[in-house]
Amino acid sequence: MRARRTAAATIGRHLREAGVSRREFLAFCSKLMVAAPFGLALTNVARAEDVAREVAKARRLSVVWLHFQDCTGCTESLLRTSQPDLSELILHLISLDYHETLMAAAGKDAERTLRAATVENPDPFVCVVEGSIPTRDQGVYMTLAGRPAVEVLHEVAGRAAAVIAIGSCASWGGIPSADPNPTGAVGVDALVTGKPIVNLPGCPPNPYTLLGTVLQFARFGTLPELDDERRPRFAYDRVIHDQCPRRAHFDAGRFAREFGDEGHRQGWCLYHLGCKGPDTHAPCSVMHFNEVVNAWPIGTGAPCIGCTERKVAFRVPMFQTVPIHDATPPDTYAPVEAPHGRRNLVAAGLAGVAGGWLLGAGYVASRAFKTTPGDQGVPTIPPPPTKKDGEA
Amino acid sequence: MRGVTRREMFGLAAAAGAGIVAGSPGTSAGANPPAAPREPVAMLYDTTRCTGCKACMPACAEANGLEPDTAMSGGIWQMPLDLNAQTKNVIKLWQSDDGSEWSFVKRQCMHCLDPACVSGCPFGALEKSPLDGVVGWEPSLCIGCRYCEVACPFDIPKFEWNKFNPKIVKCQFCDHRLADGLQPACTAACPVEAVIFGSRDALLADAHARIDAAPGKYFAERVYGEHDAGGTQVLYLSHVPFEDIGLPTLSTVSNPEYARKWPRRMYKWLWGPLAIYGLVAGVVQRRWQKHEREAHRLERETGLREQL
Amino acid sequence: MINYWQRGVPVWQVRYLTVSFAGLSVVAVVGLALAALRMVSPLGPFSGMSDMYAWGVWKTFNVMTLTAFGSAGFSVGIATWVLGHQRLHAVMRTAILVSLLFYGTGLLALGVDVGRVWNFYNILFPWRWNTDSAMFEVALCMPLYAFLFLAFENVPYVLERIWATGGPVARRRIRAVEPFLRRIYPFMIAGAYVLPAMHQSSLGALLSLAGAKVHPLWQTPWLPVLYLIQAVVCGFAATIFALMTACLYWKRPIDVSILSELADLLSKTIFLWLGLRLADVAWRHELGAAVALDSYSVIFLAENVGLLVPALVFRSRRLRETPRVLYNMTTLAGLASLLYRFAPTTLAFRPGGPHDVYFPSVPELLIMCGWIALAIVGFSLAVKTFAILPAPIEAWDRLIAVARADHPEWRLDVHGNPTDD
Repeated sequence: MRARRTAAATIGRHLREAGVSRREFLAFCSKLMVAAPFGLALTNVARAEDVAREVAKARRLSVVWLHFQDCTGCTESLLRTSQPDLSELILHLISLDYHETLMAAAGKDAERTLRAATVENPDPFVCVVEGSIPTRDQGVYMTLAGRPAVEVLHEVAGRAAAVIAIGSCASWGGIPSADPNPTGAVGVDALVTGKPIVNLPGCPPNPYTLLGTVLQFARFGTLPELDDERRPRFAYDRVIHDQCPRRAHFDAGRFAREFGDEGHRQGWCLYHLGCKGPDTHAPCSVMHFNEVVNAWPIGTGAPCIGCTERKVAFRVPMFQTVPIHDATPPDTYAPVEAPHGRRNLVAAGLAGVAGGWLLGAGYVASRAFKTTPGDQGVPTIPPPPTKKDGEA
Repeated sequence: MRGVTRREMFGLAAAAGAGIVAGSPGTSAGANPPAAPREPVAMLYDTTRCTGCKACMPACAEANGLEPDTAMSGGIWQMPLDLNAQTKNVIKLWQSDDGSEWSFVKRQCMHCLDPACVSGCPFGALEKSPLDGVVGWEPSLCIGCRYCEVACPFDIPKFEWNKFNPKIVKCQFCDHRLADGLQPACTAACPVEAVIFGSRDALLADAHARIDAAPGKYFAERVYGEHDAGGTQVLYLSHVPFEDIGLPTLSTVSNPEYARKWPRRMYKWLWGPLAIYGLVAGVVQRRWQKHEREAHRLERETGLREQL
Repeated sequence: MINYWQRGVPVWQVRYLTVSFAGLSVVAVVGLALAALRMVSPLGPFSGMSDMYAWGVWKTFNVMTLTAFGSAGFSVGIATWVLGHQRLHAVMRTAILVSLLFYGTGLLALGVDVGRVWNFYNILFPWRWNTDSAMFEVALCMPLYAFLFLAFENVPYVLERIWATGGPVARRRIRAVEPFLRRIYPFMIAGAYVLPAMHQSSLGALLSLAGAKVHPLWQTPWLPVLYLIQAVVCGFAATIFALMTACLYWKRPIDVSILSELADLLSKTIFLWLGLRLADVAWRHELGAAVALDSYSVIFLAENVGLLVPALVFRSRRLRETPRVLYNMTTLAGLASLLYRFAPTTLAFRPGGPHDVYFPSVPELLIMCGWIALAIVGFSLAVKTFAILPAPIEAWDRLIAVARADHPEWRLDVHGNPTDD
């Protein structure tokens, strides 16, 4: 009962009733703008105040958060804010109607809460899925109240207005799907059809990507533009390498070669330590985690492992370098007079030998000619051989 | 003395006919130097504005579908040493020996008003557009003789030496983008308008305005490409000597203008060869008749047939 | 002085496969195999060519330079048929054979050198011809000359052999076609003198378009004319050299009076060329560069001195008739002539910057030598099969006597003519 009423109210009213400070709210909105400067209608405005106004008008969206084969890291990244009030704010922006880690209910109460949030909920809700879904052996590897995850997913997602797969596990299988994938772990879009699905891969992904998507959906009912892996373009349309703060070191050829060496200490590029930045689409280089500057792998000196990419993460060895596609120039320059062609000593030697031999032969031949004028060197032309001597 | 026989008439007529076809101007313009394009486009590059950011290089590679040349960098940087079969546009740096003077320079095809490559290409694979003057390459007409590489005074056309189906690679002003009403990729990518795109007349006026506005700033107070090599459609303003940044000192007479003057005169309607042929044939014919008589006489006397 | 060169007589030898023949054949086969391989692989790995020196040795040496050797037929032909030196008829066949071989291998080299040879069919469409282009002129004129006019010039000795050894049917066919051939012969050989004039000068014109990239000691508006006259010079030198070497190798007497006449023509042509060249260099104020003693100047002096010395020596009739002097001076003139034709294409060609170098790679050199070896092997085979190399009449008579004894089925009379005529 209570859940339904709060879900129908606008976020603005809810924030006022909850006594959330406007400053905190605006700070949050600015962070949202940083996370999604382009590609999200909600933040495609000039000032944080404009975002705040739109968010305030939105209805507080009901969110049903399912956990499957997960580590709960995505939830942690959402709520382990470095300012405690911020996590409170987040919980005011959305109505988290079902969340196994955070809700008070347990056991039969939890089952009742799920029914209330889904079957008995007349209002539209968004289903957020965290963790991969096992498919092998009838999916026995993850059950909820005795029912396999696949069944729960189909039931809840079937009633949701949209499904958001948060984290690499829910997007494409994540760690559980690494070779040999004993549980047959797959992502949400391998199982659910006929519903709008947004993948937010990452291990964990940046929580502002989730919040921007959900708030846009709450306000306008639309999802951001997605790429062909169903990832929002505003966050996943670029590779780490193209936005990396250490790119200048890459372009200058300053690489850390070993952990702890001088280059590593100086914060140089981690490409030769196996950084997967060039192959990884993610917003991490722009939007760090936990509201702490440099709280992201490369920022701490650890090469990116490509956790958003199904072809890279948990497949390509961590310290193996990746090829650079669409290479760009370094910070050195071509000389005005560049060398072309190559000297070839072997050929020169051979040519010299051949030329010398020819000149020598010519000299020998010339010696055969006489030096008296008019001498025609009249040799007796030997008679032509007849058939008896052999063919001419 | 025999007159010309019917057979000989046919032969001469055929030769003349072939000559008329061959002597008529084929893919080249009739004038020397050729008429200017109707609406020539141009690029103006100012070394005093270029910051050496090289944004134009990957922009060019992407717009033209070229794989960046990463050979020298072990695969991680687009690092060509010069224009080559994978690089249509390159930024170079010149520094004086003591390092006190320096300049960036952008090199690509100059799109000359009277291109040597067009003049030399046997089947017209390289052609200058009569509308905007862009010099383009047509694969179906190219035999890969590389005469364009030898002829170009700027050493621009590059050959795909390592491909089995080798192309000639050079800047073509992004003519596929021009057709869509866009600028070339390099001028669109330049963040400081060091290289800009426009009509040749407008850019020449702009260049001269810049020279007038800042006396002493630009080398020799002139625009390179205004008249050099007969005029080019890529213009340069430089604060250092043009030779230093690799732009050769050339006369205002283009290579083709110099090279085709006499051949054109000699070969017009093939009059030269036909006249010489007529002369030679006449002399040979007379000697032939005498030779035939001698040969027959010798054969009667000695029984030996002549050896032609 | 007796004229020993009275008639072309096939060369006879007991052994076909000598060491030199085997060696040359090996070089030719290796070159051909590599050339075939090159047709199915990119040009880059095969050669030392780069974008700055886009023409390697095949175009510049086998075509632009060695076709000067191939102008033997052109120069001797003009001397004989136009200028009226009747005695040179005896060496015509040798000259046109040398021409055919060097043009043939030169054109093959050109076919192997171009990178997109499949588009050459465009030559069949006149509206695609760029008549301003010297390269086009060479591409049209050289094959036309080699495969039509030069080939025609070489047909008589082939027909002669078939006539002697072919049997009645062949002889009837030859008799039928002979009047037509005789009718068109003067017009064909007139074409055979006009076309080489056109493309040998166009070979020089190729470099006119390179403008300042060719060193000023060579780059001149007179380049086509100088190339043409050098073709004549080299043609005479090639004829003398080929005749003397062949007679030495196959033990035939040499005819110093004919050789002296050729040497005299050679010398006069060289003076004509030298006069033009030096006048041109002086007119363009480049005499300073000529004596600057840098590498360009050394090449320039080598060319000119290498031509001047033989030309002066050959002014003396006595020296012209001395075999060793003939041989050595001709070789010197020939080498200097080749040097002149080769220099502006590669040695005096200065593209781009000071760091550009070119040297042919090993496969490139092997192919180049392969073509030359092929030409020499072709020469050897041809002079043994056909009556090309000149010899005294006695040699002919002796050969016919043996032929009649060994091959009665040929039905030859004492002079070598078929009796069922």
